[in-house]
Amino acid sequence: MSLIEIKDLKVHYPIRSGFWNRVTDSVRAVDGVSFDIEAGETYGLVGESGSGKSTTGKSVVGLEKVTSGSIMYKGLDITKAENRRKLDYNHDVQMIFQDSLSSLNPRKRIEDIIAEPLRNFENLSKDDEKLRVLQLLNIVGLDADALYKYPHQFSGGQRQRIGVARAVATNPKLIIADEPVSALDLSVQAQVLNFMKKIQREFGISYLFISHDLGVVRHMCNNIAIMNRGRLVEIGTRDDIYNHPLHIYTKRLLAAIPETNVNSREAHRASRLAVEEVYREQQSKYYDEQGEAYPLVQVTPTHAVALPQNVAQQLARQEGEVQA
Amino acid sequence: MAENFEQHSDISAADLARLTQEAQAEATPSTAKIIWSEFKADKPAMAALIIIVSFILFVMIGALFINTPKMMETNIMGYFNQPFTADYWLGADSAGRSVAKQLIVGSRNSIGIAIGLTVISSTFGICWGLISGYFNGYIDWGMQRIYDFMMMLPMTMMIIVLVTIIPHYNSVTLTFIFSIFYWEGTSRLIRSRTLAESEKDYVAASKASGTSHWKIIFREIMPNISSLIIVDCTLSFAENIGVETGLSYLGFGLPSQTPSLGTMIANANDPNNITQYWWTWLPAALEIIVLCLSISYVGQVLRRAADASQRQGSIN
Ligand SMILES: Nc1ncnc2c1ncn2[C@@H]1O[C@H](COP(=O)(O)OP(=O)(O)OP(=O)(O)O)[C@@H](O)[C@H]1O
Ligand SMILES: [Mg+2]
Repeated sequence: MSLIEIKDLKVHYPIRSGFWNRVTDSVRAVDGVSFDIEAGETYGLVGESGSGKSTTGKSVVGLEKVTSGSIMYKGLDITKAENRRKLDYNHDVQMIFQDSLSSLNPRKRIEDIIAEPLRNFENLSKDDEKLRVLQLLNIVGLDADALYKYPHQFSGGQRQRIGVARAVATNPKLIIADEPVSALDLSVQAQVLNFMKKIQREFGISYLFISHDLGVVRHMCNNIAIMNRGRLVEIGTRDDIYNHPLHIYTKRLLAAIPETNVNSREAHRASRLAVEEVYREQQSKYYDEQGEAYPLVQVTPTHAVALPQNVAQQLARQEGEVQA
Repeated sequence: MAENFEQHSDISAADLARLTQEAQAEATPSTAKIIWSEFKADKPAMAALIIIVSFILFVMIGALFINTPKMMETNIMGYFNQPFTADYWLGADSAGRSVAKQLIVGSRNSIGIAIGLTVISSTFGICWGLISGYFNGYIDWGMQRIYDFMMMLPMTMMIIVLVTIIPHYNSVTLTFIFSIFYWEGTSRLIRSRTLAESEKDYVAASKASGTSHWKIIFREIMPNISSLIIVDCTLSFAENIGVETGLSYLGFGLPSQTPSLGTMIANANDPNNITQYWWTWLPAALEIIVLCLSISYVGQVLRRAADASQRQGSIN
């Protein structure tokens, strides 16, 4: 059994308008998303800005009011508040937020910020609690002086580490990492990522790693889901996604990874233009009449893509993947 | 599980005391210290603070030594006595009552009502705004309809009617009557900031950390809007001195045998008093001006202290 199973998750935000301020339409931020996360793995969720990644992540932590669908953890549906309470759910599932500054209360000292989940979920004595906070600071590579400081006194990278320390404080089983490094510069990105991997090895944590950057995800994730306008368009292993992408949206994302090798820059540019060309011409093949993604179909046991059955198989054959 | 953390960090219980001490040396000063240093850096505000505190203490304690009913007795011998005499430091009014004593008791009453009114109406307004803004949805909708209804009532008229139909009232009842009508402004202001604040990720992080709604409202969100609360409270305090004095001036505040700043200023209704007997109303008017100015000065300093980028004081 998987650690967590997400089935047909939908989160719709009502749009109110008109004289009576009635609900006239809805933003379908997440529209029928299903995937499973195994214990100890890093699952990547990738998509452009506004595709509903954060909303999915927040639903998994229990912060979002879910419109329909289920999220099963230990046999209970945690979209219901009483089940979350029963399981002490957030003791096991924590979140690292996209915006590190806004996720730390500016009026609280670092000690109180990191100790918050400990105070709610574990009954530690004052000294044990302080010791745990100091150990956590040490694990994320911050000095003890941080203890009585406020969030604004730290740099972006340090704040992200504080966010990580808070998330691992209760030794959770799953951490939703919402673009944990997008706001950081490259050298600090690598630091934070390596150190998230280190924690994962040492504590056996699973991550749901949310990012819009396939370059970073490649470094972190075994399994990847590609999200486009609230729906998943492709699910697969790292190899499936990077070496045999089927959906045009995945191909576009891959083409958008910046090329660092100067010699192959021209070739890279040409291939990117080719993908854009295909996208313009064949958009109708990849999306249905309403411009929405199709339901997912399996092409190999690990690889699924949102296309009509026949198109998917044809593309898979072209890519050299064999139907199992 | 604790072993898990022991293993991966090289800090153990033995280091606790040393590290705590190190951290304390680097600690950021507390809010109270910041506010104090801000007052030290701003001399006029310090003067304003001293004026307010010593004046309030003076009238509160001074009023205890004055026998009010006796003071309010008519004394023909003192009819418009000149100020600066042995019996009447600030002269006497048309009934021969000492202006100085009335000023002390009147200030005590007026300031007491203003403080009571500020405490009750601000506390209520702040809680109302915080709860309404945080929970959003149906709770917010219901609370806002009650707010709209209260705003619709003509406030001054309602107070006058209530004061007229209640047979016996004193400063305490009056404070409660005022409080019914003076929480709305605060609540709207606090609600709008709470709505914005509730959207921020630190609130989500607290929810994900298992903190209860009430703790999030009062321990997470409220400190973050404290500068707004402090400024609003000081301004309401200055304004609330005006509420009671205004109504007493019109004759609908405290009963006539209870002196207040308003009843004293009402002496200025008589043109004779304005020109010849200035001492009957001028001290009370000056007092209100000085108090309100000082309060707004203090409010400015508190706001600066709450907003790190505006600070003038240096700590260390
Ligand atoms: N509270 C809300 N009310 C209405 N619409 C919302 C709300 N929150 C998010 N949305 C909409 O839902 C969609 C998905 O938002 P989400 O934050 O999940 O995107 P994202 O994939 O995380 O983007 P980014 O990479 O920029 O963080 C967006 O179109 C956004 O406008
Ligand atoms: Mg996001």
